[in-house]
Amino acid sequence: MADRMPMVIGVGLTPFASNREDCNVRDLAVEAVLDCVRDAGIENLDAVQHGLTSYESDHFNRQMTLGAILHDTLGLNPTPNVRVEGGGATGALALRTAWAYVKSGLCDSILVYGCETNGKSIASQTANQLFALSADVDWEMMVGGTYTAFYAAMMRVHMEQYGTKREQFAHVAVRNRRNAAANPFAQRPMDISIDDVLNSRPIAEPYTLLDCSLLSDGAAALLLATEEWAKQHSSRFAERPPVAFTATGCGTDTMRLGDRYPHLTNFAGKRAAAQQAYRSAGITNPLEQIDVAELYDSYSGVEIQAVEDLGFVPEGQGGPAVADGMFDHDGALPVNTSGGLLGRGAPVGATGIAQAIEVVQQLWGEVTPERQVHHARRGLTDTHAGIGTICVVNIFERQD
Amino acid sequence: MSESRVTSLVERKNIESKWVVEGDPWEAFRQIEVITLELTQSYRHSLGKYSRFFLELENGRFLGTSCPTCHKVFAPPRPLCPDCLSITAWQELPGTGTVQTFSIMHFPSLVNDDVRRLETPVTLAYVLLDGGSTLFPHVLKAAPESIHIGMRVRVAYAAAPVQHPIHLMYFVPLEE
Ligand SMILES: [Zn+2]
Repeated sequence: MADRMPMVIGVGLTPFASNREDCNVRDLAVEAVLDCVRDAGIENLDAVQHGLTSYESDHFNRQMTLGAILHDTLGLNPTPNVRVEGGGATGALALRTAWAYVKSGLCDSILVYGCETNGKSIASQTANQLFALSADVDWEMMVGGTYTAFYAAMMRVHMEQYGTKREQFAHVAVRNRRNAAANPFAQRPMDISIDDVLNSRPIAEPYTLLDCSLLSDGAAALLLATEEWAKQHSSRFAERPPVAFTATGCGTDTMRLGDRYPHLTNFAGKRAAAQQAYRSAGITNPLEQIDVAELYDSYSGVEIQAVEDLGFVPEGQGGPAVADGMFDHDGALPVNTSGGLLGRGAPVGATGIAQAIEVVQQLWGEVTPERQVHHARRGLTDTHAGIGTICVVNIFERQD
Repeated sequence: MSESRVTSLVERKNIESKWVVEGDPWEAFRQIEVITLELTQSYRHSLGKYSRFFLELENGRFLGTSCPTCHKVFAPPRPLCPDCLSITAWQELPGTGTVQTFSIMHFPSLVNDDVRRLETPVTLAYVLLDGGSTLFPHVLKAAPESIHIGMRVRVAYAAAPVQHPIHLMYFVPLEE
């Protein structure tokens, strides 16, 4: 490929689970990286020129400088390493950084590995306090605010302004958990109804328990390299369709929802990220030109906001489009075939990488047959931090 | 469980991986010990250039900051106007305002005694203060079924001692 286009050489994943007691955080990273080495068809990590560690929280992982420790654990010394953090967007921001490292010529190959222990090893009271640190501490969290409430407050305006209904976002909660049933590595596949979602206990109204995504332990790894490096070092590169990481976009927004007044319904940062990525990939009609996508469904309604901000449907029309099945497996644009954050799970530092892995495996034709999207040539990942505070959109395309 | 000299011990067990179909490569590493890890943190936490907001709350006054250049009024205060990088000025606001959105929280963040004392559910309201340009997030003490977008509210000042000074205030319905 021209212009040092970063190619995906291999991917690796651990199962996501609420409690991986058989592992600590470095054991998880090891499992994902070994899986990636095997998948990439490389003998070991000796030819890898750079490492990139993706994790969000020293507190959740009970370890600072985890980048150095994981790099050491994997035997990557003295190869250079960098740690990337961007809240919920960490994994996608890590890949975006890796894209630039390869593209710029800083290295020809880079191993991106992400992990997090957000599961049951953290007492709920401790988790509460740690999450408190991820919003504006003295202004939002000390009053008792929760991320569920911030998202819920956005959705309330979306409902008021556009007539979006609880049944419409409950559709996302049902579909993504059903999709998870076709993914053996998913944390919480469920066969539930719209009514089950509506009648589950309220967490922060209008969101109920089943509108909320999961807390997970897990890890993911992805090896990115130039085509030239791949031809030299990967025995599998020629075996499967070449998939490039063709474009990346990033946009940001205020930390506090209230500072966005009067624009409270949608994610402006996501819109900016998508526009950048589309311009770079030459996409003018995303609904037509994207075949499969993993969207950041931290809450069910967020997917409705996302399909609007990513330009799949006009603002305010996400609710009916989602409820009509436009984004179901047999719809115009299948999303969250992995199960998403609602069904597969969300170990933060691994999440954005795992989303990319689902898209890349869809393009390779390597997911389970029940969830395979046929003739998929171009896929997108949408990942964000906070309430759309840092947004990253990454695009992957088959090159054959 | 047999006697152990590890005082933080939670449990010891053998874990089988439910994902390994055959030939577990980690077979020799399936004996697991779980302990309690205690990390307690406490800080001398300065409220910095935002401090006067909290100081004046104790005097029953509600302050925002205004930008001398673009005249936007920030509540919560911002010492720096992010739109033009001017240093802002303190400005007292009447403390009345309108709910622009809200969420009724059945599980608020129990981050301090002030929140733990609240009756649940707790309403987090985003209030556009009269004279302000941004929304202020805080607890609205009102019957949940009475709360709606457009509701008029006012700042009330706490009489009892609080742990975090943000709880020197909260919102209540405005009786007009
Ligand atoms: Zn200004």
